[in-house]
Formats: sequence, C-alpha cells, structure tokens
Amino acid sequence: MLDEKKIKLMTRMASYEANQGKEDLAVSAYYRKDYTSLHTLFSFFWGTLGYVCLIGLLVLGSFDFLMEHLTMGMFFTLGTIAVLGYFVIIVIYVVAANRFYNKKHIEARKRIKKFNYNITRLLKIYEKENR
Amino acid sequence: MIMDRLFVVKGQLQQIYAAYSKYIDKAVQFVLALGAFYLINHNLGFMGMLSSPAVTLALAVICTFLPVIATVWASALLILGHIYTISLGMLAVTAVIFLLMFIFYLKFSPKTAVFILLMPLAFLLKIPYTVPVALGLTGNPLSVVPVICGTIIYYMIGYVKNSAAALKSADEEGMIGQVTMFVKQIFQNKEMWIMIIAFVLCLLVVYTVRKMSVDHAWKIAIAAGAAVNIVVVAIGDVLFDVPVSYLGIIGGNIAAILLGMVLELLFFAVDYSRGEKLQFEDDEYYYYVKAIPKISVAPPEKTVKRINKREEHQETEIIDEGKMRNKSGNPRNRKPAQKRRTPQKNERHAQGNKKKSAEQMLMTRSLRKELNLDRQKD
Repeated sequence: MLDEKKIKLMTRMASYEANQGKEDLAVSAYYRKDYTSLHTLFSFFWGTLGYVCLIGLLVLGSFDFLMEHLTMGMFFTLGTIAVLGYFVIIVIYVVAANRFYNKKHIEARKRIKKFNYNITRLLKIYEKENR
Repeated sequence: MIMDRLFVVKGQLQQIYAAYSKYIDKAVQFVLALGAFYLINHNLGFMGMLSSPAVTLALAVICTFLPVIATVWASALLILGHIYTISLGMLAVTAVIFLLMFIFYLKFSPKTAVFILLMPLAFLLKIPYTVPVALGLTGNPLSVVPVICGTIIYYMIGYVKNSAAALKSADEEGMIGQVTMFVKQIFQNKEMWIMIIAFVLCLLVVYTVRKMSVDHAWKIAIAAGAAVNIVVVAIGDVLFDVPVSYLGIIGGNIAAILLGMVLELLFFAVDYSRGEKLQFEDDEYYYYVKAIPKISVAPPEKTVKRINKREEHQETEIIDEGKMRNKSGNPRNRKPAQKRRTPQKNERHAQGNKKKSAEQMLMTRSLRKELNLDRQKD
C-alpha cells in the first residue's frame, strides 16, 4: 500500500537535494564565520582585480587625452584619486560581500535543518511501518 | 465579461503549466538560447565555423539541458570567439568587460544572469523598453545591473558589427590604437548612455510606484515607466542630438504597456472595488490596514454525460429528491431530505399484505367447512 504522506515527503526532499541542496550542503560544510571570512577574502582579491580592470578601461578610453595633457602634477592627482577610489570601492565591495555570504550561510543552514527534520520524520514513518 | 474570460484563460494556462512545466521550461530555455546565439551569429558572424546554423542549433540544444547560466557563459564565449577573429586587443577588452560584469554582478546573483541576455534580445525585437518595465514590476531595484550590462553588450555587438573593417585596418596601426578606439567608441556612445539612463530611471520608477499602496498601483507604474522612457529619450535627442526613431519609441513603449498589463493579469490580479480600509490598535501600535481581495476565477470543469440505452425490465428507481438537490451543488436549493419509503420497506410491506390475505383465505375455508357451505352448493 502506498503511503501518500511518505511519498510527498520523499519527493520534497529529493527535489531539494537535486537542486538547492547541493549548494547548501557545500555551504554548510563550513562554520558560518569560516565560510564568510574565506569568501570575504576571495572577494577582496576579486574586487581588486575588478578595480584594476576598471581603471585599465578608463585609461584606455582616455588614452589620447592623457598622452596630450598628462603632467607630473596631474599624474599624482589622478594616482591619488585612483588609490582613494580603490579604498572606497574595495571597502563597499568587501562589506557587501561579507553580508551577502553571511546571509547565504544562514539561509543554507535553515534549509539544511529543515531537510534534516524531514529525514527524521521519514525515519519515524519507517519505524512505524516496521512495527 | 472580457476580464472574466481573461481570468478563466489565466486559470487554464496555470493548469497547463502545472501539468507540463518541465517541457515548457525547457522550451523557453531553448528559444532563449537559440535567440541569443542567433543574435550573436547574425551580427558578429566573423568566425565561419561558429556562425553556421548547425552549430547555433546544436549549441542551443545543448544549453537547453544545462542550467540557464550555461547559456550566458556560452553566449559570452561565442562573442569572444567572433571578436578574436577581428583582433586580439579587442578580445582582451571584451573579456575585461565580461570579467567586470562577473565580479560585480554575476558572482552574487548567478540565477538572474539570464536577464543580461534578455536585453540584447529585446533590442533585436525592437522592444527594449519592455525589459525595464517587466523587471520593475517583477524584480527589485538591483535588476538595474543586468539591464545596464545587457545594454552595454548590445551596443558593443552593434559597434563591432558596424566597424569591423575599420577596426581591422586599425590593427595595422597598432594594437594600442585599436583598443583605445574600441573602448572609446563603446563608452563614449551617447545613445547607449541615454538608453541606460532611461532604462534605469524607468525601472526605479516602475518599482517604486508599484510598491505604493494606491489603487491601481501596477497600472500607474506601467504608464509612468513608459512615460519616463519617452521623456528621457526625447530629452537625450534634444540635448545631445542623438538620432532616435520616435515611432520606434512609441511602438516599443506600447509593447511595454501591453506586456505590463499581461504581467499584472498574471501576478497581481486584485479587485480594487472590494477593497477595505481597516483601523485597529493594540497596546503598542495603531494599525491602518488596506486589504484588497485577490481575483480568482476557477476554470470551468468539463463534465461528461453518459446517455445509456434504456434497458427493459428495469426496476423503477426511487429518486431521493433531497440527495439530487445536494448533488446539484446549489446551496440555496438544498432542503432537508424527506423520509421516503425505501425498497426494503416496500418489500416488508408487501410481505405483510400477503400474510394477511393468506390468513383471510384460511379463515374463510375453515368457516365454510364448519357451516357445510360447500356441500349445500353440491
């Protein structure tokens, strides 16, 4: 005899495991602090790379202008602006990344907890059946 | 009446989607992938091998069975492949632009990467204004990022298509000159920036207005979004002398309004005429609540009537009137079922009658015997 309750539970769990579950399991393998710190560190490198690319594009876009008008004073001014811009952008980027990964871990843990709860329910159903 | 019919159609569509969602999703993914690859190959078909219809179709089929993000990656690689044939410097610039999009957007929101593809596709169909309106209605303010990225990609493809020959000749002058020209042309394109400003403002206006608690917020938001699009592009035309087709703008915004109405029908069907304003309080707060009921019309169910041949020697069925009324489902017509004689009771009644008549017969026979009535007759 088919147990509708059990089938529904198993379907929900299988669907979760096949889609979101894979990522959630990988995320929840870390402690929240470790996961967030690790990804924030990576984000720092990504952010730096992104900023360098952005500056590179800006320099290429205004290459002709810079070649014609660039002086030592202008070079230092632009350099200072670029460095300040880097600090501003990297701080915003890293803070945003930190919050994002923190939230991601919390949500993943929630879903994993629900999944574990469903496993317990399923085990209880099996125990009942075996009696 | 028309609205009722539309809601019935909506219900039917929901039922169809619920039944065949797996296939419909894959079909949509296939069309999206095919459209994106066609757009790229049609405009940048510099590498013969990649731009053949067979490769386009094969790539679309493969991407259909992979996650949606694979279509975005495949599109990016296809663009890079075509641009590689023009120049290595341009390839580097394009790769850097894609890398920036990945670092600042796709890394955090890979599931919405598909919106980046929608923008160039909408441009191809001459309805780019539909995307910010649709994303403003269904998304959040962060949706401006894919809209901006998609617009940049479209104009970048357009620029490469129109100036491939010039860029190739610049290759002879040196890679730096070529790359500088490419970057300058992409990021100093006034039309692109005006479109980006129009789309960003449109999306933010649509999002803000549709979140407001005014009646018909979605309709107002759609109209406001379309108006923002037209006004910003017109201002751009006047101030920066950007060539724009007003017919295209108006047509595109009519399409955006129509799409917005369809989205409202699908995702925000409410009946403002039955709205209620409530006010109550607890120990800490006063509450001013506006409640608008949702419209839900169930699609009519098909009933199959079976008409059988009337069988002879059929026993007369006694119909329970109360039960029949209950079956008809109209609660007004429901009346308490009256007590009626059931077939079992009939049988018992008939048996009782038979018993009585038998007793009477026996009685008359015994009386006749006693009184000798039978002999007298003889």
